Amino acid sequence: MAAKKAASGTVALAPVLDLNEASALHGKLMTMRGSDIVIDASAVERVGVQCAQVLVAGAAAWQADKKSFMIEKASDAFEKTMQLIGIDPDKMVAKEI
Amino acid sequence: MDMNEIKEIFFQECEEQLAELESGLLKLNDGDRDPETVNAVFRAVHSIKGGAGAFGLDDLVAFAHVFETTLDCVRSNKLEPNQDVLKVMLKSADVLADLVTCSRDGGSVEESRTKTLVKELEALANGEMPSAAAEAPKPAAKAAPAAAAAPAPTDDSGFQPIPFTFDGFGGDEEAVLGNVFDISFKPTRELYSKGNEAALLLRDLSRLGEMSIACDMDTLPAFESMDPEASYFGWKISLKTAKSEDEVRAVFEFAEWDCELDVKPAEASEDEEQPMVPVPFDLSALDDGPAEPAAPAPAVVAAAETASNVTKAVAAAVEKKESAAAAAAAAAQNNAAAAAASAGQTIRVDLDRVDRLINLVGELVINQAMLSQSVIENDATGTSAVNMGLEELQQLTREIQDSVMAIRAQPVKPVFQRMSRIVREVADMVGKQIRLVTEGENTEVDKTVIDKIAEPLTHMIRNAVDHGIESPEKREAAGKDPEGTIKLSAKHRSGRILIELQDDGGGINRERVKQKAIDNDLIAPDANLTDEEIDNLIFAPGFSTADQISDISGRGVGMDVVKRSIQALGGRISISSKPGQGSIFTMSLPLTLAVLDGMVVTVAGQTLVVPLTAIVETLQPEASAIHSFGATQRLISIRNSFCPLVDVGRILNFRSTQANPVEGVALLVESEGGGQRALMVDAIQGQRQVVIKSLEANYTHVPGIAAATILGDGRVALILDVDAVVAASRGQSLKPEMSLAATG
Amino acid sequence: MKKKVLTVDDSRTIRNMLLVTLNNAGFETIQAEDGVEGLEVLEGCDPDVIVTDINMPRLDGFGFIEGVRRNEKYRAIPILVLTTESDAEKKNRARQAGATGWIVKPFDPAKLIDAIERVTA
Repeated sequence: MAAKKAASGTVALAPVLDLNEASALHGKLMTMRGSDIVIDASAVERVGVQCAQVLVAGAAAWQADKKSFMIEKASDAFEKTMQLIGIDPDKMVAKEI
Repeated sequence: MDMNEIKEIFFQECEEQLAELESGLLKLNDGDRDPETVNAVFRAVHSIKGGAGAFGLDDLVAFAHVFETTLDCVRSNKLEPNQDVLKVMLKSADVLADLVTCSRDGGSVEESRTKTLVKELEALANGEMPSAAAEAPKPAAKAAPAAAAAPAPTDDSGFQPIPFTFDGFGGDEEAVLGNVFDISFKPTRELYSKGNEAALLLRDLSRLGEMSIACDMDTLPAFESMDPEASYFGWKISLKTAKSEDEVRAVFEFAEWDCELDVKPAEASEDEEQPMVPVPFDLSALDDGPAEPAAPAPAVVAAAETASNVTKAVAAAVEKKESAAAAAAAAAQNNAAAAAASAGQTIRVDLDRVDRLINLVGELVINQAMLSQSVIENDATGTSAVNMGLEELQQLTREIQDSVMAIRAQPVKPVFQRMSRIVREVADMVGKQIRLVTEGENTEVDKTVIDKIAEPLTHMIRNAVDHGIESPEKREAAGKDPEGTIKLSAKHRSGRILIELQDDGGGINRERVKQKAIDNDLIAPDANLTDEEIDNLIFAPGFSTADQISDISGRGVGMDVVKRSIQALGGRISISSKPGQGSIFTMSLPLTLAVLDGMVVTVAGQTLVVPLTAIVETLQPEASAIHSFGATQRLISIRNSFCPLVDVGRILNFRSTQANPVEGVALLVESEGGGQRALMVDAIQGQRQVVIKSLEANYTHVPGIAAATILGDGRVALILDVDAVVAASRGQSLKPEMSLAATG
Repeated sequence: MKKKVLTVDDSRTIRNMLLVTLNNAGFETIQAEDGVEGLEVLEGCDPDVIVTDINMPRLDGFGFIEGVRRNEKYRAIPILVLTTESDAEKKNRARQAGATGWIVKPFDPAKLIDAIERVTA
């Protein structure tokens, strides 16, 4: 547990995941490469496709790193938008091996 | 606020836009080529059109549209706004103004006028010169009526509202899902940077029917090399809908330039392969997620907390700003008024409120004067603190009054602008070429005065165009520019506004004027009159110089009416004329009809107020300076010149015999006819500002008296009409009705 | 939460119509009279959508849109152009300046609301 602690983190998604937020989110995730990560999607009200792109690419990268990338407490809006834009929830998850 | 109120605002705004339009066109006419002038002109018409469309004022929209199209040619430098072009535009501005008036008050503009101008405007827009268009209507002109009748260029945009039934995502139109479309959609990065959002487009699409979707992520690069703002995802969609292909495409109306889009009816039915399979979707599984969510590292938590504090602080700041902005916005809305041009710096106030304020301040001034008076009567030394306080109060009251009056002061510009239209119309009617030059249009004067000068001024302008300026042929024969010039100017001079109307026409034909006056029994055949006196005959009641009564200025209204209405305002009018060079009419008007600086005098026991602006100087006559002239006339010699002495008490029939000048005071006044008179009064009481109370409104017009006021002691005092008194003194005796004044 | 709309139009008539229409539809409305004021008001009002006229004094709609798109914080806001000019050229210019969509005046309140719904979440 102790070892894990040092290498994991939580990212709380902003309520509005728009164009501006895409860069911010990308930057935030970049700094957390190599750690297990939990994405808290509970506050999300709006999701733009560009943020979804960041999350999907992120999940793929974490997968390649063999680190975990989890989406937690997804809000209704988050779930519905992902469904609407045809993104398989698996695409946003990376499991620790 | 309901639609009627907004409509009212619209018409107010039209007035402003029309003024803007006209002044802009006139600037262009004077050679101004500032693009902003052209823009302002364009905007004015554009704005009228926009509002008119909202209220379904189709005639107005149709005409404004044609006008706007032509102005757009000027704006884009396709059409040079030369004199000919501007002539058409100025006429169009007039028609536009009439259409606005008709839209507001009912009635209609003659169709022929509108049609002709629509033709001319369209010809201009098509690159034809006005004359050519007028003579040989081209196909374009033929199309004009149709264009004018077309109910405005409203709906060629293709924007169709998309009716949808919205009940969560997915839609519920199973009943008639007749069509199946295969759609492929791949946005470009511009789609996002322009504020469109693929997710919203897909949402709208899903509302059209039953949608299954597959996201194509093939182009998504590695996380570290991706550009977060680029567009990588594309979609293949199958949509079962009752809508047509056009309706489906309409969802992408705003986005179609910024995406690859393909919409086509599905070829076969359900046997399409893979991408169309709806994605099974259930994130709920993720909720239990990792059995034991990794507890975040303290450092990260701390960082996150700090970040969230910062966010909070920023949010608070934003909120504060926001509420300030909201308050400001609310204030702005309340003054829905703020003139469009000077954003935010003006407020619109109901005139009634201002009037009420002015009246109240007027009462305050009177009340303050009465208070002062009674204090003075009870305080012989005049040094008490009360007395000094009163002086300050007087000063303050005065300042308040000035400030309040300034609220109602307005530039004469709108009135002057109306005149330019009248010049155009009348000149057109009588076949003359006339340019109106205005000067000092920003000179301000009380609104009550502005409202009242428009009519006499209109009449004078008509007169100047009709009688003042000669026909182009005559002018050319006289070696003048065939185009006549009328100059209208305004300026402030010693507490009054001076409006001059100057034409470069033939001047007063004194021979004819004199003959006419003799014919009309206005003067004796052998009367010996100065040029000035002859010129002023045109102001005599019932005088009209035109040999034939014309349509223009001969509506039974003569210059005498003009003169009377100006006098009723406490104004004066005079004329000076040079044969062959033109005439100048000069009107001098008070800046306000609410207050007056006056000299309070005593005449035969009565208290009168003489407007200070009329008085040149006061003097104590010495016996040696008084000379008799004829039976009743007396002259006073002042610095080696003689000036007729007028006994005010005698003129107003306050007394039956002339007072002894040596016992009184002479007020040297200048009247509008030029020339000075010495008005004899018994004594001067003092000088003060008085609040004007109209006699006409409360009683009836009294010759020789301009108005009345209430003095500090509560008594009514009459305000002398200096010009009328001087005029009466010119005649041999008083007109009988003038004795009425004695009862005042 | 109410959606917030910033309208920018120099015509008092149109401003009032927008205000009535938007308020009736349950939006919070903030108004500016031209592009310059629009950019000033934008700071701190954080609207969900902007509706702007094209022909305005001081700063026209094209300039205003460019100004919003250059603004780090507000560049993602959808902007609808409200214009009587329906020809392709004008629309194109507005789009190039960064407009999200357009509404043709005289607007039908339903169309206005519909267009706003289309570009906002």
